[in-house]
Amino acid sequence: MTTIDVNNLSKTFGKTKAVIDASFEVERGRIFGLLGPNGAGKTTTIRMINFIMPPDEGEILINGVKAGPKTQRWIGYMPEERGLYKKMKVGEQLIYLAQLKGLTASDAREKIRYWLKRFGAYDWHSKTVGELSKGMSQKIQFIATIVHDPDIYIFDEPFSGLDPINSELLKEIIIELREKGKTILFSTHRMEQVEQMCDDICLFNNGKVVLTGNLRKVKKDFGKNTVLIEFEGDPAFLDQLENVRINNRSTNFAEIRILEGLDHQDILRKAMENTEVHKFQLVEPSLNEIFISTVGEDNIKQKELAV
Amino acid sequence: MSWRQIFLVLKREYITRVKSKGFIWATILVPVGFAAVIGIMVFITVWESESTFEVAIKDDTGQVAPSLIEINERRYLDYSDLEIDSLRTLVQQDRITGYIVITEENITERRNPELIYRGSGGMEFLMSVESDFRQVIREVRLSRAEVSEEIQEIYEARINLDTRRLTREGEEQDDDTIFLSFVGMLLGIIIFISIFSYGGYITRGVIEEKTNRIVEVIASSVKPIELLTGKMAGVGALAITQFTIWILAFAGLTTIAGPVAMSLMESSASASGDLTAAEAELPAFLDFPTVEISLIVYFIIFFILGYLLYSSLFAAIGSAADSDTDTQQLMLPITIPIMIAYFIMFHTWRSPDSILSVVSSIIPFFSPILMITRIAITDVPFWQIGSSILLMILTFAGTMWLSSKIYKVGILSYGSTASFKDILKWIRQ
Repeated sequence: MTTIDVNNLSKTFGKTKAVIDASFEVERGRIFGLLGPNGAGKTTTIRMINFIMPPDEGEILINGVKAGPKTQRWIGYMPEERGLYKKMKVGEQLIYLAQLKGLTASDAREKIRYWLKRFGAYDWHSKTVGELSKGMSQKIQFIATIVHDPDIYIFDEPFSGLDPINSELLKEIIIELREKGKTILFSTHRMEQVEQMCDDICLFNNGKVVLTGNLRKVKKDFGKNTVLIEFEGDPAFLDQLENVRINNRSTNFAEIRILEGLDHQDILRKAMENTEVHKFQLVEPSLNEIFISTVGEDNIKQKELAV
Repeated sequence: MSWRQIFLVLKREYITRVKSKGFIWATILVPVGFAAVIGIMVFITVWESESTFEVAIKDDTGQVAPSLIEINERRYLDYSDLEIDSLRTLVQQDRITGYIVITEENITERRNPELIYRGSGGMEFLMSVESDFRQVIREVRLSRAEVSEEIQEIYEARINLDTRRLTREGEEQDDDTIFLSFVGMLLGIIIFISIFSYGGYITRGVIEEKTNRIVEVIASSVKPIELLTGKMAGVGALAITQFTIWILAFAGLTTIAGPVAMSLMESSASASGDLTAAEAELPAFLDFPTVEISLIVYFIIFFILGYLLYSSLFAAIGSAADSDTDTQQLMLPITIPIMIAYFIMFHTWRSPDSILSVVSSIIPFFSPILMITRIAITDVPFWQIGSSILLMILTFAGTMWLSSKIYKVGILSYGSTASFKDILKWIRQ
């Protein structure tokens, strides 16, 4: 069943076309990754799904209802630019945010108590956010996002700025939410994070959806045409290979995408002639590689694809 | 628009601010300051009535000193028997403030009396001595000239203007124009200060939400227009709370100020054994003429309309700025009309019915300050009040529409303060 249905969405700011005719579907109970470099239109799309800004064209249906004040209550949203009132007490602040999502004060209080206990943060109840450490306030931010127990969770660049402990905590939360049958959509420009977590993906570039679908299927369609090689010796032979793209390269490791015609055994042979091969593996391409080959190398700024 | 959401925002804005130290201090300090000012003024009056400047008169004519003593027996002392040297010594030792030698020349010729003194007393003292002498010497000259009593009376007459107000209903009333002029100016200044201070609250509140990066979290639950309305209402409720406390405190202070001042003066008078002072009337500044209820009602109307008119603009500026320090330039379009109104007020205060006063008091951005000043001082035709109120309501609808457009985009624009060009683009979007 489709939880978020985005149809032919467009949004323009002045002369900038932020989103152009974007369509994708997010299925219930799955983790959906919205991927693409910075400035690809992910945040704008997410804001429109959250009814923070209206689309110029197109339509967004949440559980079959057009995005609006009503659908906002079904969503827990953690924006990329996030924060809390510094001078407000943790408890009061969470109650306020939960009430804005439609909870009654007593209902909110009960749920906040549960989550604060769960995160070992119960003592912070009467502290102001300004008194908390960064890691602590990140936990409060998670609670603010999930406290009203919505069916849909949207995280925009959730891992940026998180410390490692909270990154792990958030991953746990996301997995746990999916197990409960909730729908999760998150955006990231760091492709490798998605590989571990996402069921479905949607690739954005320059405001357009370039690829969308089930992650397994997308990868399968691209075929096993990527070589991971570990070696000891002179890596100069890599430069002599033709019809390949080398994505990840260090002194004794390379990820090689075979483009056309070339047999992977040729690469192995060349490697063995020049170096001592420790590992040679034929794998599905990484998402990063899929992204590059979909949009074409010329259409992306390499530096915007973070490593 | 969802009223529930607006109310939640309002409640948060109101409660967090009302509990803040800044608000509590301002609310307490203003009446305390007011009480202190009244206290100081009472103190000055009480103290002033005790302090006397003693001027010794060495009167060679024998006609001047008695009249002076009649005017102020505590100030003027007849020391005609003493030599000038002894008078000088008395002044040098600060036993008396100064002395004046009156000779025939002062009366028959145009020679001014000369006060020899240590330099204390100040302007007020000098002016009162001067006027006393002017009066007394003129009287002596008149009596010597043997002019008829009739003419003497003509010269002694002091013509002042008494004024009475005739209402439209045909009732004559005491005229308090001078007092009301000050009230009018005060009300104008209060609205002027309030627009800036409560507007400033709103600007800072909006910037705070932006810099804290909480605004997008809020925007995922509340429409920008609801957030804006809630904020304006919350700070408005705060303003009403503060003013209610202040007005009650002022009312309380002014009712107790009179009796307290009275008892103070009585006790000081009885201590000095001078009974005449105890009979003295209350100092003029404590004798408040009553302010009409209609003026208070108009003040509330213009206060609220002025607040509404400007506060949405203050919110728009906050949303366009990226930090507290970047608001200066963006503030200009708001600051200029308020400042113009403020300066015109000093003209309106003196001539409330001039064309400049009438026209500018109907211009919506000036009305909150100028119309209330005029209403306080003069009898403003109702069509002028009515049209200014109507225009303000219409303008408020306009500024609210404009502000909500700027606000909607501004709160989600991070990174840099918007220029006027950017803001124009946002409005067109």
